[in-house]
Amino acid sequence: MDPNFRGDTDHHDGTSDATPGGYSKQRRPGELVFTFFLLGASVVLLNEAFGISGFGKLSAPGTVPVVTAAIMVVCMLIVGAQTVRLPKVAGETLARDILPWRVLAFVAFLVAYALAVRPLGFLPTTALFLVFGIRLLGRGWVFSAGVGLGALICIWIVFRIVFTVLMPAGIVPEAELVQLIRNLFGGAR
Amino acid sequence: MDAFLAFATVLMQPQLLALVALGTFAGIYIGAIPGLSVTMAVSILISFTFSWSVYPALALMVGIYMGGVYGGARTAILLNIPGAPSAIATALDGYPMAKRGEAGQAIGVSTVMSVIGGFVGIAVLAVAAPLVSDFALRFQPRDYMFLAVLGILLVGSLSTGSLVKGIFAGALGVAIGAVGRDPLTFTPRFTFDLSLLNGGISFIAVMIGMFGVSEALLQLHHVDKKAIRQKVGRIIPSWKVVRKHLPLSMQTSTIGVTIGALPGTGGDIAALMAYDHAKRVTKNPETPFGEGAMEGLVAPETANNAAVGGAFVPMMTLGIPGDAVTAIMIGALFIHGLNPGPMLMIDRPEMFWFIVGALTFANIFLLIFGLTGIRLFTKLVEMPRAVLISLILILSIVGAYAVNNAITDVYWMLGFGVLGYFMRHYGYPLGPVILGVILSRLLDDNWRRAIITAREDWGRFFDGVFSSPLSSVLLAAVVFIFLSHTPPWKWAKARLFASRIK
Repeated sequence: MDPNFRGDTDHHDGTSDATPGGYSKQRRPGELVFTFFLLGASVVLLNEAFGISGFGKLSAPGTVPVVTAAIMVVCMLIVGAQTVRLPKVAGETLARDILPWRVLAFVAFLVAYALAVRPLGFLPTTALFLVFGIRLLGRGWVFSAGVGLGALICIWIVFRIVFTVLMPAGIVPEAELVQLIRNLFGGAR
Repeated sequence: MDAFLAFATVLMQPQLLALVALGTFAGIYIGAIPGLSVTMAVSILISFTFSWSVYPALALMVGIYMGGVYGGARTAILLNIPGAPSAIATALDGYPMAKRGEAGQAIGVSTVMSVIGGFVGIAVLAVAAPLVSDFALRFQPRDYMFLAVLGILLVGSLSTGSLVKGIFAGALGVAIGAVGRDPLTFTPRFTFDLSLLNGGISFIAVMIGMFGVSEALLQLHHVDKKAIRQKVGRIIPSWKVVRKHLPLSMQTSTIGVTIGALPGTGGDIAALMAYDHAKRVTKNPETPFGEGAMEGLVAPETANNAAVGGAFVPMMTLGIPGDAVTAIMIGALFIHGLNPGPMLMIDRPEMFWFIVGALTFANIFLLIFGLTGIRLFTKLVEMPRAVLISLILILSIVGAYAVNNAITDVYWMLGFGVLGYFMRHYGYPLGPVILGVILSRLLDDNWRRAIITAREDWGRFFDGVFSSPLSSVLLAAVVFIFLSHTPPWKWAKARLFASRIK
């Protein structure tokens, strides 16, 4: 099979392990930085692995971590040496093909969500995330609010009531709400 | 008799039968909707079903797995967008068929062939697993170690990508799996003196990040892509068409089940290999490959569903996952207090036969749901990506949080999601990472057992390896994978093929 075959006509994003992204003979924007980041991280891991138990015994708890981190370093050295020599892909830019503003915005949304979910609670944070997320992806405010809030109600009923997953309640009196729903369906006694 | 009763558990308990049906139905749509993958769905599902008992949880997962592997074919045929990785090869000939106005026939044939492939896979699982399991009792710790290494290496080796990147991904997974206190000596490993890391990193957070968040972020590139829908006619294929392609389907099912049974490699690789095989063996297709050849549809569709049964063989008998989905299922079994491996087959044979039964019924439901409901399908699949992506991200967060009720797991998930996103862009396979995480403990424990048995002596260790045919074969396989990617080997192979062509 052609090593540059990706099964999809318009992108090199790595849709599956059978056809990982990237190009075999060219370097994508940011690829070199990512390679050096992984190399650096591997070196840090190797250094940490050496400190686990030294080399006293082959069966020591540090042996597998040292070997693993060493393999990572060697692999990244090989990948780095190969990547440096590759020509850049013509016509691709970091801002358009790797990190478009939508991806950056959603990552920021996700971090904000993780920070806000405890103090604010699952319901208001998720409502904000869904409505703003759908709006950000080009839908109108009415559609975003309608679908976002509708989806939130479905998610909440399925996960809170059916799967009994407890998400942070925050400022919303969730327990009282659940009780109210139970009373509605079970009939007040 | 016990085996039969366990096999029929699904049939005897309406709740389980309903869960298999629901799973298969949901799986078809999960597989079909681009951006939702089976691996993602099963990894998110673990966190919601861990409070259930093991049978209902497995029934749902098995259904989703079976349906999801097939579901991708429908979008590949109708929209030229493979809904799941295993349907990449299906689009090559499926979509041209749909453009010719044969979408209905393409869907019908792909359904029937998927079911045939599925049954071949299940039959091989039912026959081979008990034999492998008996054999596995004779495995030495070093054999398990080599098998784990083999599993991690195979994905990188058989895919179209770089082996070095595959090895890196596998090693990264092993390192992630090693974070925390060593279970034998309680020594902290990769903890950087942070108490937060003493308990290790939740593998569910890693999985959801790698397969859920990274995929959702990747889909942000395609929000504006419009799909061109094709008309669908008669779906149920004629017996003549099915009979004509039966011989090829048996060959590609065999490829599928074999690739599936190899540790680490699953339906996506099986489908591409089967497609390649079909191209080689079909001398005179009615329509050329790439322009709507029926053989190009039959081959990947039988192979990817046959790989499902195959992937359960190493999972149930050795505790080594056959692919990324079975890696996650092993995680699910761990959560339910079960330890997959040869002892599970001896102690809890009913668990194995239950899975075989669930797979069989899932395959029957696949036939029913695959040949019906096409109108509902076209509506659901065209769900706006703006809604879909936001929903996947919320489900990922809820899933990562739900297992330990810890916000730290959500941070890990986000971190691994971003890492996975870049890895996908730059050609690093993600399957080996998950395999590495799941196999890290097995690899470490068995290495230590093997080297302690050899009294910490390399000479004794290799004596043991070379005096055992199994260990020698496994070591040779590991060495072969490395050698087959070196320049001298490639040069020799090119010369060999060149001389054959002459």
